[in-house]
Amino acid sequence: MKPRQSQTDPAFLPRNPDTHEPLLRTPQPGYYPGYSTMSQRAFWDKATRSLIEQRLHTPPPIRFLTAYEAAFWEVVFDHILPQDDRTPDRRIPIVPFLDDRLHHNRTVGYRFEDMPHDREIYKTLGIEAIDSEAHSAFNNNFLQLSWRQQESVVRTLHDGEPQGATEIWQRMSVHRFWQLLTSDAIDVYYAHPWAWDEIGFGGPAYPRAYTRLERGEPEPWEVEEERYEWLAPSASLSGETEDASHHHTEAEQLRHPHRTRSA
Amino acid sequence: MKQPLFGSFDGPHTHEHTLGPLQHISVPMRRFDDNEEADYLIVGIGSAGGVLLQRLARAGFSVVGLEAGPFWDTERDWVSDEAGSHQLYWEDPRVTGGSDPLALGANNSGRGVGGGSVHWAAFTPRLHPSDFEVYTCDGVGADWPLTYDELLPSYEQLELEMPVAGPAYYPWGRPHGYAYGPHPMGGVGNALVRGCSALNIPVSIGGPVAILSGSHGDRPHCIYRGFCIQGCKVGAKASTLITHVPDALHNGAEIRPHSMAARIELGRNGRVTGVHYFDRDGQTHFQKARAVVVAGYAIETPRLLLNSACPGFENGLANSSGTVGRYLMAQAGNVVLGRFDQLVRMYKAPPAHALTEEFYETDPRRDFARGFAIQTVGPLPIAFAKQMVAAKKAWGWGLRREMMDYNHWAALGVLGEILPWPENRVTLDEEKDQFGLPIAHVSFNLHDNDKKLIKFGKEKAFEVMHAAGAAEVVQEARYAHLVGACRMGSDPSTSVTDKFGRTHDIPNLFVCDGSLMPTQGSANPGLTIQALAARTADYLISQGDTIFHSNQRNDTEPRIRRELAPPGTYGKGVPRVR
Repeated sequence: MKPRQSQTDPAFLPRNPDTHEPLLRTPQPGYYPGYSTMSQRAFWDKATRSLIEQRLHTPPPIRFLTAYEAAFWEVVFDHILPQDDRTPDRRIPIVPFLDDRLHHNRTVGYRFEDMPHDREIYKTLGIEAIDSEAHSAFNNNFLQLSWRQQESVVRTLHDGEPQGATEIWQRMSVHRFWQLLTSDAIDVYYAHPWAWDEIGFGGPAYPRAYTRLERGEPEPWEVEEERYEWLAPSASLSGETEDASHHHTEAEQLRHPHRTRSA
Repeated sequence: MKQPLFGSFDGPHTHEHTLGPLQHISVPMRRFDDNEEADYLIVGIGSAGGVLLQRLARAGFSVVGLEAGPFWDTERDWVSDEAGSHQLYWEDPRVTGGSDPLALGANNSGRGVGGGSVHWAAFTPRLHPSDFEVYTCDGVGADWPLTYDELLPSYEQLELEMPVAGPAYYPWGRPHGYAYGPHPMGGVGNALVRGCSALNIPVSIGGPVAILSGSHGDRPHCIYRGFCIQGCKVGAKASTLITHVPDALHNGAEIRPHSMAARIELGRNGRVTGVHYFDRDGQTHFQKARAVVVAGYAIETPRLLLNSACPGFENGLANSSGTVGRYLMAQAGNVVLGRFDQLVRMYKAPPAHALTEEFYETDPRRDFARGFAIQTVGPLPIAFAKQMVAAKKAWGWGLRREMMDYNHWAALGVLGEILPWPENRVTLDEEKDQFGLPIAHVSFNLHDNDKKLIKFGKEKAFEVMHAAGAAEVVQEARYAHLVGACRMGSDPSTSVTDKFGRTHDIPNLFVCDGSLMPTQGSANPGLTIQALAARTADYLISQGDTIFHSNQRNDTEPRIRRELAPPGTYGKGVPRVR
C-alpha cells in the first residue's frame, strides 16, 4: 500500500511555533522524556502485567471487519487521533482492538435509541455515511480523497453538520456517531502504555502504591515534566478546540452548534 | 530499582479464592438443590443484596443469592487498568433515550458479586433529614414512608461495617462524626479546599469515604493508586464482596454466580414460589423459595418485575399501582475541570476524598427547589479524554495536545438532586437479550427545576475552581448514579413497596436496593442503599417465619440487630456531636 500523504508531506507534522519548521518524528512525543510505565511492570500484580504485556506485544487479529473495512476505519481513526508525530514503529494500533470488541459483540452496555447497533455501524452504515459525505463534498469515495479532503469530511461529523446522506442520518444521530468514534479511538489509544508515557500517567501501582500525593510531585520512578511548545500541522483542521462549557446538560452539549467557518 | 529484590511480584500463592491480598474464602460453598426450598432467594448480590444475604444467613435462615455476573477472585480477575475493567460493569444490551438520555454501563451499573459496590468511588455521605420529607418541605418530589431517625441506627451501623473514614465533625444534615480518621489530600482535594476556603465555603476533607485510612481486620489500608472505580485490588475500599459476602458464606449462605433471573413465579394463592433463571450455559432452572427479594438495582429490578407479568399482573408483577419502572432518578454529575499552571497528577489518591454539602438544602433565594454537593473526582486518562471531547470539542491534534496536559488538570463533580418524575422510567424494549428476555428501555427527561439546579450548581463549581487558581475552567455535562423505579411509599396506589421493601401486592415478595428510594438528595446513594438493606434485614428477622406462611402485615419497627454484623465491626462507636 502506498504511504499516505500525511506520512510523506511535512505539512502534516506538528511545528515549532518560532521557526514553523516541522518537528522531527519521535518514538515518544510528550513532555516526559525517558519516562516508561513498562519499566515498572515487575512491580505490578501478575494479572495487570499479563494484560498490559499482551496489549503491547500481541494486538488481537482482525476477525469481524473485512480487510477493506479495517483499512477504511484505520484512515478515519488516523484523522480522529493522528499519530504522524510518532515513528512508524511506535504507532498505537487502533482497529485491531476495536475489531476485537465487535468480534465479541461487546458494547458499553447500552445503545442510544436514535442509534443502530455498533456492529451495523462499523460494518455498513458508518462507512456508507462517510462515503456519502465524501461524495457530496468531493464527488468521490472517502478513501480516494486527499488527506486534507478526508479531514474536512471527518470535520463535518465533528461539527455535526453533515451535508449528504439524509436518509442515513435519520437512522443514526450524527452527534452520537461522532461520540462513538471518538470513544472507540480513545478507549484504545489511551489504554496503551506508550500513550501513558506520552502524557505522564503513572499507570498501574498495585501492590506498590503511590507515595507522593501532593503538589503534583513525581514518584521516584516517574520523571519531571519538560514542556515544549508546538503547533498543530499547518495542513490540519483539528488543532483547535472550542469551549462548549456554557451548555448545562449533556443533550445540549452534545448538539453544541458550531461557529460558522469560512470555507 | 528495576524490579523487586526477589523478582517480579507474583500472583496468589494459594488455590483459595482471594478477596484482596489477605482475605481468602474456601470454595466450593454450600449448594442448595433447585427443589430444596430456600427461606429467602435474593436476586442480585450487590450493595444491598450482599448486606441482606449476610444478615439473613447469620440469623439462621437458609438463603440463596442469584447473581448474573461472576464471583470475583480479586487477585486473579481484577487489573489496575481502565480498559481492562469493563467486565465489572453491566454490558448486556439496554436502550437509553428520552430528551436527556442516561449513559449506563460503567457509569452506574455493576455486574458480579458486590455489584456496584465493586466499582463505586465510595463516597458515603448520609442523606439529610430534609430528604425524607421533600414534598412536605418543598412541595416537589415525594415524602419517604420513614424518617431520618428511623434510618439513623442503620446509617451508624453500616458506617462501622464498611467502615467509613471521615472527619471527626461533619457539619451538614444532622451533624455527626466518623470513627475512622480521614484520608490525606490528593491534588484534586487540595484544589477543592483552596477554592472553597477562598470563597468561605466549608469543606470536608478526607471523607466520608468507605476506604480504609488504616488497616482493619484482614484488609490493608489504601495505597492511593487511584483505580477505585476499576475495582479495589487492595481491599481497602469497601465492597460487599469483601465486607459482607465472606461472613454470609461462613454462615451457610449460597451465592450462585452466572445465574440470570428470568421470571418470578407467582403461585395460585397470590404468593411467589421461586425464580426461573438461566445458568451460564443458557440452561433454565427454577429455584424454590419461601420468599423472594429482588435486589437488581434501578434497572434490572423493574425489568425483572415487568418480565414476570402473569395472569392477575398483566402489567408486571407487583405493579397494580403502575409505578414499577417509574420515578427513575439519576443525579446531575457535571464534571468541572480546571487546568493549573502547576502539576496536579490527579490519578493519585482515591477519586473520592473531599466534598462540600454547603449548597445541599433548598435555599429560598434561589429559583429552584433542593440543592447539590461539590465533590472531588479523579478521572483516569480514558475518562478524561472523553471529557475533553465533550467540554472542548477536542479531536485530532487538539485532543492529543489537551491530553499532553493531563497532569495539569483537576476535576470536581457537581452532584445535584434531580427530582422524581413519572415519565422517567424503565420499560421493556422489543429487543431481546442473549437469553431471549426483553431488554430494558430507559427514558430520562430533565424538567425545569432540574435544569435550573444544574446551571446553578455548575456555575458554583466554576467559581470554586477559579478561586482555586485554575487558569482555565471547562465542564462536561453528565449524570451520576441511579435510584428509584420501584419506590417505597405509604400509599399502595402510588408506590410499589411499603417502608420495609415489602411489595404492596404480594406478601412474600420484597425489593431491596436503590430502586426503593422515593427521592435521592444530593448524597451518593451507596451508604443509604446498604443502610436500607440492613433495615429490611432487621425487619425480616423480626418477623421470624410468619412471612413464609402468613399474609398478615406487621408494621412494627424492628430493633436494630447490631450483633448480627460481620465479626470485628460490632462494638465500636460512631461519634455523635452536638
